[in-house]
Amino acid sequence: MIDTWFLYLGFAAGLLFIGLYALLTMRNMIKLFIGFEVVSKGVSLALLGTGFAKNNILLAQSLVITFIVVEVSLVATALAIIVNVTRHTQSLDIRNLTKLKG
Amino acid sequence: MIFLFIGLPLVVAAFMPLIGKISKKFLPDLLANAVFLVLFVLAATSGRQLIAGGPVLQSLSWLGEPVAVQIAVDGFSLLMLMAIALVTLCVGLYSINYMTPYGSKANYYALLLMMVTGMNGLVLVTDLFQVYLFLEVAAIASYALVAYGLEHDELEASFKYLMLSVVASAAVLIGIAILFGMTGSLGFAGVADALRGLDSKLAVGACAALFLMGFGLKAALIPFHAWLPDAHPSAPAPISAMLSGLLIKVSGVYALTRIFFNVFGLAPGAWLSQILMGLGIVSAVIAAFLAIGQKDLKRMLAYSSISQVGYVVLGIGIGTPLGVAGGLFHLFNHALAKSLLFLNSGSVQQATGTRNLDEMGGLAKRMPVTAATSLVGSLSIAGVPPLGGFWSKLIIIMALVQAGHGVLAVAAVLASVVTLWYYLVIQRKAFFGKLDEKWKAVKEAPFWMTAATVILALLVIGTGIFFSAIFKTWIQPASDALAKGF
Amino acid sequence: MNWQIPLLCGVVVFCGLAILAKDLIKAAIGLAVASVLLGILFFTMNAPYAGVFEISVVAGLITVLFMLTIALTKAEGEVRERRWVKIAFPLFFVAFIVIDVLVMKSLLSKVQVVASGAESGSFGDVLWKQRTFDLIGQLAVILAGVFAVLALFRKKDKHD
Repeated sequence: MIDTWFLYLGFAAGLLFIGLYALLTMRNMIKLFIGFEVVSKGVSLALLGTGFAKNNILLAQSLVITFIVVEVSLVATALAIIVNVTRHTQSLDIRNLTKLKG
Repeated sequence: MIFLFIGLPLVVAAFMPLIGKISKKFLPDLLANAVFLVLFVLAATSGRQLIAGGPVLQSLSWLGEPVAVQIAVDGFSLLMLMAIALVTLCVGLYSINYMTPYGSKANYYALLLMMVTGMNGLVLVTDLFQVYLFLEVAAIASYALVAYGLEHDELEASFKYLMLSVVASAAVLIGIAILFGMTGSLGFAGVADALRGLDSKLAVGACAALFLMGFGLKAALIPFHAWLPDAHPSAPAPISAMLSGLLIKVSGVYALTRIFFNVFGLAPGAWLSQILMGLGIVSAVIAAFLAIGQKDLKRMLAYSSISQVGYVVLGIGIGTPLGVAGGLFHLFNHALAKSLLFLNSGSVQQATGTRNLDEMGGLAKRMPVTAATSLVGSLSIAGVPPLGGFWSKLIIIMALVQAGHGVLAVAAVLASVVTLWYYLVIQRKAFFGKLDEKWKAVKEAPFWMTAATVILALLVIGTGIFFSAIFKTWIQPASDALAKGF
Repeated sequence: MNWQIPLLCGVVVFCGLAILAKDLIKAAIGLAVASVLLGILFFTMNAPYAGVFEISVVAGLITVLFMLTIALTKAEGEVRERRWVKIAFPLFFVAFIVIDVLVMKSLLSKVQVVASGAESGSFGDVLWKQRTFDLIGQLAVILAGVFAVLALFRKKDKHD
C-alpha cells in the first residue's frame, strides 16, 4: 500500500506547489485566496490519501471534515478583510498594501 | 474540572453578543473580566494539587457514555495556563478603558474569549491534530482582532499576517499527515512510541523541518518573522500585548517544544538541538540590532519580542534540564513584561496620539505611573537584577556555558547588552528628558489601564524577588514534564 | 483505482486553470470544478463523508463566498498581473513534477512505516466517540469565524 500513499502525496505536493506559486506571484488579492484554496485541497488530499494508504480511512475522513470547517472560517475571515481593504483602497491590488515595511 | 479552561470562555463568548444587546455599558466588560479572574484562580489553585500526583488526564463522560476527551495537565501546560490567565486578566482590565472608542465591545470581548479558548485548548490537548485545530481557533480570533480598528494599516498588517499564517498551517498539517502515515496514530504518546520503534531519520527530519517552518512562523523566529513587525504595532495595544505576550509563545514556542520533546525526543547535542539553538541565537542577536534603528515605539517592542523569543528557543534548544528551565522561565517573564510594555505603549499612544519616539519627551512628569511601570518592564527584559528577566537570562547563559557552548553564551550576553541599550533609549526618549511643549496637557492614563499595568509591574517585580520560590514551584515541574517525555 | 489517476490529474489541471485565469469569475468556477472532482475522488477512496463535505462545502459554500466577495469588490479597473507569471508557470510546474516524481520514487523504500491494523467501528463512532474533542474545536472555530466576520463588518458608532 506504500505505493498508493506516495501517489497521493505526489499529487498533493503538486497541488501545494500550484497554490504556493499563486501565493508568491499573484497580485490580485482574490487570486491569493484562490491560491490558499488550492493549498487546502492539497492538504486535504494528503490527509485523506494517508488515511487511505494506512487503512485508516474513517479517522482521516473526520480529520478532513474538521479541516474543511477550519478552512471555511478562514475564508470567511479573509474575505471580510479583503472587502474592508477595498473600501480603503478601491482596488484589489496588493501593491497598494506596501505602506508597512515589515 | 480542567475542561473549564476551554469550556468556560467558549460558552461565555457564545453568549457575548446577546449580553452586548442587553447592556452595552458595563455588562460585557464585567462578565469577560470575571471569566478571566475565574481562569486565573483555577490555574493558581487547582492546578498545583493536580500536578502533585503526576500529569492528570481527564476523560469526560457525556450522556452516560465515556467520551474520549483526552486533555492533560502537566507542569508545562500548567505554566502556560498560568501565564495565559495572568496576562489575559490584565489585558481584559486594560481593555475596559482602551477599547471604548473602537465600539462594539461585546464583539471584542467575544473574540478575546475565543482567543483564550484556543490558547487554553492548545496547551491542554494531547493530540497532534487538535493542537493544530486550537491553534487555528486562536489565530482566526487574532486576525480579526489585529484588524479591529478597520484602518488601512491594521487591515494591511492583518492581511499579511493571515497570508503567512496559512502557509504555516499547511506546513504543520503536512507534517502531521506524514507522521500519521508513518505511525498510524495522532496522539503524542502513540506517535512517540511508534517512532521509537522505527528507524526513520529522514522522514522525522522532514517532519521536524515542516514543524519548524510552521510553528517557527507562529513564534516569529527569524527567518519567519516578517509578519510580526507589522502586525504587532498596528493592532490595538491590548491585542499587541496578547499577541506578543502570549500568542507567539503558546502557538509557536509551546507547540514546537511539546512536539520536539514529547514526540521526537530532544537530546542535548543532537542535530535538532543544534538547529533550535542556531535559530534561537540568530533571532536573539539580529532582532536586537534591528530594534535599534526603529522610530516607532511599538515597532521597537515588536523586534524586541522576536529577540526575546529567540532567547527562549535558545534556552530550550540546549536540551539540558537547566537550559530548558531557563528558557521556560524567560518565557514566563517575557510574557509578563512584554505585555506590560505594550499596554504602556497604548497608554502613551492614547495620551499623545503618536507612536513616534522622536516626537515624545519628558512624559514622566505628566504620566508618572506609566513611566515607572514601563521602567520596570524594560529593565526586566533587559536583564537587570533583581527583576525576573535577569535570573532567567542568567540561567540560560549558565546552561550554555555548562553545555560547552561558550561562543553562544558570549553572543547571548552581547544581545543582552544591545537589548539594555535600546530599552534605555526608549525610556529616555519617551519618558525622561525635557517635557515637550505639546505634551503639557496630557494626563495619566484612565483608572483600569493604570491598574492593569501596575498589577503586571508588581508581578514582574515579584518574580524577580521571589524567583527561587517561583522557580521551584512552577518552572521546575514544567521542565521535568518535558524531560520525562510522555 | 482506474478512475483515480484521471481524477487526480483533473483536479490539478483545474486548479492550475483557476490561478491562471484572468477573469475572477472563471477562476472561481475553475476552483469549484476542481472541488467537485476532488469530492468524486474521495468517493472512490471509500470516503463518502469527506466527499460530500468537499462538494457541498468547498465547491458550494466557499464558491458562493467567493462570488459574494467578487460582487462586493467590483473595483475600478483590473489588476494586471505580471506577464511572465503565466509563461513561467508551466515551466516551473514541469520542473517541479519531475523533482516530485524523483523524490517520491527514491523515498519509496526508505521510509519505514508501522504496519496498519484493521479499523473498527463505523464513521459515526469514530467522529463522535474517538474524535469528540475535534467537534468542540470545530464549534470554537466556527464561533471564532462568526465573531471575526461580525467584527470586521460592524457599523462604526457615530462618535468615532
